[in-house]
Amino acid sequence: MTRADDRPASLSLQSVSKHFGPVRAVDGIDLAIGQDEFFSLLGPSGSGKTTMLRIIAGLERPTTGRVLVRGQDVTTMPPYRRRIGMVFQNFLLFPHKTVAENIVFPLRMQNVARAERDERLLWAMKLLRLDGLAERYPNELSGGQQQRVSLARGLISRPALLLLDEPLANLDRELRAEMEVEIRRYQKELNIPFVYVTHNQEEALTMSDRIAVMRNGVFEQIGPRNDVYRKPATAFVAAFVGQSNQLTARAEMVGPDSLTLTWRGHRLHLPHPGGIKAGDDVRFFIKYEDIEVTPERTAPGNHVGGHLRDIIFKGQTANYIVSLADGSEIIASASSRDQKVTIGEAVSVTWPASAGMCFKT
Amino acid sequence: MTRIPPLLLLAGPGVLFILVTLLLPLLAIFMFSFWRTESYELYPDWNLDNYRVLFTEAAYRTFLLRSLIGALVTSLLCLLYAWPVAYFIARHGGRYRLLLVLLLAAPFFTGVILRIAALQGIFGPGGLINMALGIFGLPPIAALMYTPLAATIGHVYLFVPFMVTAIYLSLVNFNFDLLETAKINGAGPWRAFIEVTWPLNWIGTAIGLALVFIPCLASAVTPRFLGGPSATSFGMSLGQQFGETGTWALGSAMGVVLFAFSLLVLAVMGFTVNLKRSGFTGMGAR
Amino acid sequence: MTSVGDRAEGWRRLAMSVLLGLLYVFLYAPILFVIYASFSEDIVWPFPPSFTTDAYAELFDNSLYSDALKNSLIIGLGSGILSTLFATAGVIGVLRFPSRRRALILIAFLAPLFVAELLIGISSLAFNARLLGLPGNLFSAIAANAVEGTAFAFLIVLAQLVRYDWQMDDAAMVFGASPLRCFWEVTLPAIWPSLFGAFLISFILAFNNLEISFYNLGAIPTLPSVAWGSLRFGLGPELFALAALTNGLVFAVFALMYVLMRTGIVKFGYRGV
Repeated sequence: MTRADDRPASLSLQSVSKHFGPVRAVDGIDLAIGQDEFFSLLGPSGSGKTTMLRIIAGLERPTTGRVLVRGQDVTTMPPYRRRIGMVFQNFLLFPHKTVAENIVFPLRMQNVARAERDERLLWAMKLLRLDGLAERYPNELSGGQQQRVSLARGLISRPALLLLDEPLANLDRELRAEMEVEIRRYQKELNIPFVYVTHNQEEALTMSDRIAVMRNGVFEQIGPRNDVYRKPATAFVAAFVGQSNQLTARAEMVGPDSLTLTWRGHRLHLPHPGGIKAGDDVRFFIKYEDIEVTPERTAPGNHVGGHLRDIIFKGQTANYIVSLADGSEIIASASSRDQKVTIGEAVSVTWPASAGMCFKT
Repeated sequence: MTRIPPLLLLAGPGVLFILVTLLLPLLAIFMFSFWRTESYELYPDWNLDNYRVLFTEAAYRTFLLRSLIGALVTSLLCLLYAWPVAYFIARHGGRYRLLLVLLLAAPFFTGVILRIAALQGIFGPGGLINMALGIFGLPPIAALMYTPLAATIGHVYLFVPFMVTAIYLSLVNFNFDLLETAKINGAGPWRAFIEVTWPLNWIGTAIGLALVFIPCLASAVTPRFLGGPSATSFGMSLGQQFGETGTWALGSAMGVVLFAFSLLVLAVMGFTVNLKRSGFTGMGAR
Repeated sequence: MTSVGDRAEGWRRLAMSVLLGLLYVFLYAPILFVIYASFSEDIVWPFPPSFTTDAYAELFDNSLYSDALKNSLIIGLGSGILSTLFATAGVIGVLRFPSRRRALILIAFLAPLFVAELLIGISSLAFNARLLGLPGNLFSAIAANAVEGTAFAFLIVLAQLVRYDWQMDDAAMVFGASPLRCFWEVTLPAIWPSLFGAFLISFILAFNNLEISFYNLGAIPTLPSVAWGSLRFGLGPELFALAALTNGLVFAVFALMYVLMRTGIVKFGYRGV
C-alpha cells in the first residue's frame, strides 16, 4: 500500500503525548494516515491505543502535540465540531431512539435537510443490510444488528475519518469473521480512512493496510501488515503477532547476513538482522507455519529430531507438537488434510535457514 | 394438594396487607363521600350533597386552587433546583456520592413538625433573620412572615430531598458514555442534554415530580404554621372535617377529590412516559 | 478524564457545585441553629452564647413527652419490623420468580408512595371507626404507618438485591439445602445489611410521623403530635431540645445506613449507588 505524498494526510498526529499523573499513556506519537487507508492500532490492554483513539476523537486533550484532520489543526476543537465518526465496543446506541433515529442522529446535528437525511438513511440502511429494522429499538436487535446500526451511524455523514474502538469484541466468533470482511469492504468502497483499535491480531491482520503495534504508549513497529507479520522489528512484536516458537540461545558465528547459534546441542542457521555479535544472548522466533514435520529428514536447512507428542486439530490446519529429547517442545502448523506422521513416532523437524527472526536480549 | 406458587407465597402477604390497609380504607371513604353526617355520626344515606357543596361553595374552590398552585410551584422549583444538584453528585461525586445524597435525604426523616420548628427558628417572625434585622434597626422581612411565599419555602425545604433522590437514582443508572457518542456525532453539550440525558432520565424526573406534588397538594401542617390566616389549604380544611367540625362525609368527599387529583397527576406523568422510548430494559434481574 | 471544550464544562461544574453547597446550607442551617439554640439560655437570640441544659431538663421533666416517646417507639418498632418483613419477602419473590404479574406486584408495593400521608391517616381512621367499629389504637397506627414503611423498605431492599446473584442459592440447593435452610445460611448472611437498612428507615419514618399516627390515635400522644401541640403556642426551648435529639437520632440512623450500604456494596461487589 503506498500513499501519494503530495496530498495532505487525512489524519496526522505530531508528537502527541498524554500523561495521567506520572503515567505516560501515550508518549510522543507521530503518525500520518492517508485517505484510502485502513489503519489498525494493535496492542495489549493498557498499551495506550484507546487513549490515542480518544485523543483523535477529541474526547481527551493531549498533554502535548498536535492533531490534524485533513490538514486542519483540531487539537483544541471539541468532539462535536470534528465531524469524525466513531464505532464503540459496546455499541452505545441511544436506547430511546429507533434504529432510523439513531442512524440519522449525526445528520440532524449537522442540520442536514430532511429530504437528504431520508435519502442518506436509505443508502446507509441498504449498505449495512438493515432493511426492515428502521422502526425497531436497539434492545430489540441482536448484537450483530446493533453493531451494524452503530456502523451506519458512524458512516452516514461520510465523516473525514471513522474511528473503531474494538467494535467486534462483543460479538461471537463466526459473526466476527463475517464482520471483519464487511468492515474492510465498506472502507474500500467508501474511501474513508478507518482507524481501528484492537488487541486481536487476527482482526488487525485480516482488515488492515497498515498496522501499528503499540506498547507502553509508543509504537513498537508501524508498517504494512505483511512487514509486521513477516519482519517484526522487535522481540515484542515477534511474540505478539502470529504464533511463534521462542528459542533462547547464544550466538556463535556471525556472518554478514546469517548467524549460527547452538540451541540445546543443535546447531542452527538463521538470518542475521544486524547488530548481533558472537557471544550475545539472543531470542529466536520461528512461526509455526515455517516449520515442517516429516517422518524423515527431507528438506535442507535447520534440523531437529524428536517424537510427535500430539496433533491439535484446528480444522483447515493442525498443530503438531514435537517433544525433543531434552523435554522441550517445538510446535509446527500445517494443513490438516494429509498427515504423514503419527503420534508417538520419531519425526524430523525442519525449517529453512532464511526463516524466523532473531533479537538480542 | 396444589402447591402455592412461591411468588404468591412471598409477595402475597405484602400485597394483601397493602390492599387491606390502604385500598380498603380508600374505598371506604369513597363510599362515605356519598353518605351524610349528622351530629358527628355517618349515616348511609346515599346522596351527592358533599360534592355539590365542594363544587359550589367558593371557599372550597379557593382552597383547592390554592393547594394546586402551591403544589405546582413547589414541584417546579424543586425540579429546577434538584436537576443540577443530582447531576453534579451522580457525575462528579465520585466515591462520595452515596454520602452526598444520603446527607440530602436525611433531613426528611426528622418529620414535618420538627423541621418546621427548625425552619421557624431561622425564617420565622421571631427567628434568627428577623431578630438580626431588628438589632440593626431594620424592619423584618414581611414576605417571610405568614405568607404564601413562606409556605412555599417551607414546602421546598420539606420535599426537595425527594426530588434530588429520584433524579439521582435515575442518573446513577444512566450510561454517561452515551453523551460522548452524542458529542462525537456532532451534538454540543446542551444539545446532547436535550437529545439524550433528559429523555433517558424522564421517568425518574416524573417520579420525583409526583413525589413532591402529591404530598404538597395534601399539605396541611406547613400552611397552618407558615402560611398565615389567609393560607387555609385544601388539606387543612380536610383535616378539620375529621377533627373540629366532625363532618366526615364531607371530609371523605374532599379526600376523594384529593386522591382524584393525585391520580390525575400520575396519569399525566404516565402518559408522557413511553417505556420503549425511556430505554427501559426490564429490571435486569439475572 | 477531561474532554475538550473544558473551560465551559469547568464553569458548569463549578455552578453545579455551588448550587449543591447552597442546598446543604438551606437544609442544614436551621438544623444546626436549632441544636445550637437548644443549649442556650435565650433560644430566640442566643448571642453571645451562654450554655445551659435547661431546655433538656424541661423536656425530660415533662411526663407528656415520656409517654409520647414510649408510644412513638412502639409505633416505630412495630411498623419497622412489619415493613421489613413484607418488603423483603416481596422483593425476593419478585426477583427470584419472574412472572407476568411482576409489574402488578411492583405497583402494589410502591403505590403507598403516591398517596398522601393525610389521606392514609383519615381513610384508615374512617375505615376503622365506622366499618370495623374500632377506636383508634396503637395497632391501627402501626398498621397504617407500615403501609408507607413497606413501600420505602421495598425500594431500599430492591435497590440492593437486584445485584444479588441468585445462582448462589441455586448452588446451595444443588448441594442439598432446602429453600428455608438456603435462605438462612446463604441469602440472609449476604443481604442482612440492606434488610437492616430498610428496617431503620421504616422505623424512623413511623417514629417521626405526624399525620398518619395522629388520625389513628386520637388522644394517645406521640412525639410529633405533642410537638405539634406545643408549636401552636410558639417555639419553646423544649421543642428545640426535642428537635436536636430527634435530628441526632436520624443522623445516627443514617450513619449506620451508610456503613451498611458500604458493606452491602462490598458484599455484592458493586461500586455504584
